[in-house]
Amino acid sequence: MKARTATYILLLTIASALPSGLHAQQPQTAAQQPAYPAAQQGKTDTKGMTVLMPGETPKPTKYVEVKEQEQHLVFFQGFNISADVYGPAAYALSDYGWAEGALRLNLKNTFFPIVEIGYAKCEKADVNTSITYNVSAPYGRIGVDINILKNKFQDNRLYLGARYGISKFKYDMSGPAISDPIWGGSEPYDIKGIDCTSSWAEFIFGVEVKMYKNFHMGWAVRYKREISSTKSLNAKPSCIPGYGYTTNSTCWSASYSLIFDLNWGKKKNTKKGVSISIKDIPTETTDSPTTPDDEEQEEEEIETNEIEEGVETTTEKRGK
Amino acid sequence: MKPNMQQTPRVRSLTTIAIATAITMLSACYSNNCPLDNNVLCNFSFHDSYGTPVQYNDTITVTTLMPGHKTIYTYRKMGNKTVVKDVPAPELVEQGYTETVSQQRNDTILLNNLCAATSMSLPMSYYRNRDTLIVSYRSISAKDTIWIDHDSYPYVELPECGTYRYHTLLGIKSTAAAIDHIEITNPHVDYEGNTNIKIYFNGAAETPDE
Repeated sequence: MKARTATYILLLTIASALPSGLHAQQPQTAAQQPAYPAAQQGKTDTKGMTVLMPGETPKPTKYVEVKEQEQHLVFFQGFNISADVYGPAAYALSDYGWAEGALRLNLKNTFFPIVEIGYAKCEKADVNTSITYNVSAPYGRIGVDINILKNKFQDNRLYLGARYGISKFKYDMSGPAISDPIWGGSEPYDIKGIDCTSSWAEFIFGVEVKMYKNFHMGWAVRYKREISSTKSLNAKPSCIPGYGYTTNSTCWSASYSLIFDLNWGKKKNTKKGVSISIKDIPTETTDSPTTPDDEEQEEEEIETNEIEEGVETTTEKRGK
Repeated sequence: MKPNMQQTPRVRSLTTIAIATAITMLSACYSNNCPLDNNVLCNFSFHDSYGTPVQYNDTITVTTLMPGHKTIYTYRKMGNKTVVKDVPAPELVEQGYTETVSQQRNDTILLNNLCAATSMSLPMSYYRNRDTLIVSYRSISAKDTIWIDHDSYPYVELPECGTYRYHTLLGIKSTAAAIDHIEITNPHVDYEGNTNIKIYFNGAAETPDE
């Protein structure tokens, strides 16, 4: 008798908890389904609670629907803006430096079309020949980065990239006077405002790490190859803004960027896992007219994401 | 801990190493690509009158006119060889020579006694628009004069390589003592070593059949 009474109390408790207290339930894993968390009883007391009389068989009113959820990345993931801090450091340590910013699109956390704009300055003087070279001009690059990490949901990125860079600039060169050793005569070498347009290609390998919320930091190594430069009668540009020194037809460079993710217009991603929905079981057709309240199906949904550590609740919707 | 944060310490270490490497490389990567053979010379090649490259077997001396003039003292005496000196020679006057004083353009030898050569290379003036070359031959007493019109301009390949003086040939003409004709084949005179002028000497090269 005591056991039966205890059963009744347990069922009453479950039945009373379902309509309003489901959100407090712990998320269920796939191993727990299917389940019948409540029973239906035709009679209710004055407080609207279901009363189960002795001898009556509880009928299930709800069931847990479990769906395997596929991994899905939203195509547009927002913008990144970044600033390079390596350029000012390079200018402090050498003759050439730059200030650079970039705007980047994040597509599926995989492809990152990017536009880089910068302003570079080079003041070079050779101690042996006393020839000076001065240039300061803007430059631009356009290209794309590709995140090569397998897990595209994480905030860190390891990427390969390519760029096409171009700069239109004027440079000055000056040096000591040149003397003719045979016929005699001397003339200073001082040429200003030599027009030049250069273009180059870059191949990039880089890393980005999430530091805090939307703030990332990352470094990249850049391999550059000069494509073309306008030829001048008097000189060849010794340093191209955005490219670097032209001692060789190729050169190496680096960048260290501070990156901010701007999630404008970004939609939420769906991660791989299971989706658990608790729904009412449709009742048998009865003669009594249906009311709008009866037609509304109570639905509470808990989306559960299974990650390595276990189950994590991300959203909760309630229909009523 | 979220899985995306698990790799952060490792990636941060890589970041630190990369910064240190980059700063080290910043001052370490330096090389000098200046050309070793960097004499800017005008290159002449020798051909016969039909255009066949030849080895010119005579001995050639090339003199060029310089700015300014010099005084020449010429001594002549009947039955004796004419003597030309840069300074007065009173002893020759005492011997009965007649002294003639004249002004001539300064000159200097650019190429002395070139033998059996197929080509020659000569410097060009930096600040003059016309170079006058006087070509003397050992086998004939006559001399040829070559006039080369050109523009000169400074050129810097790299600041560490210094300044060069390049030339653009505009025109050329010559006398016809031993030279049949002359032409410009490459007007850009630099240190690349390309042939700039072809000299066609009188006559035809001997072939084995002949």
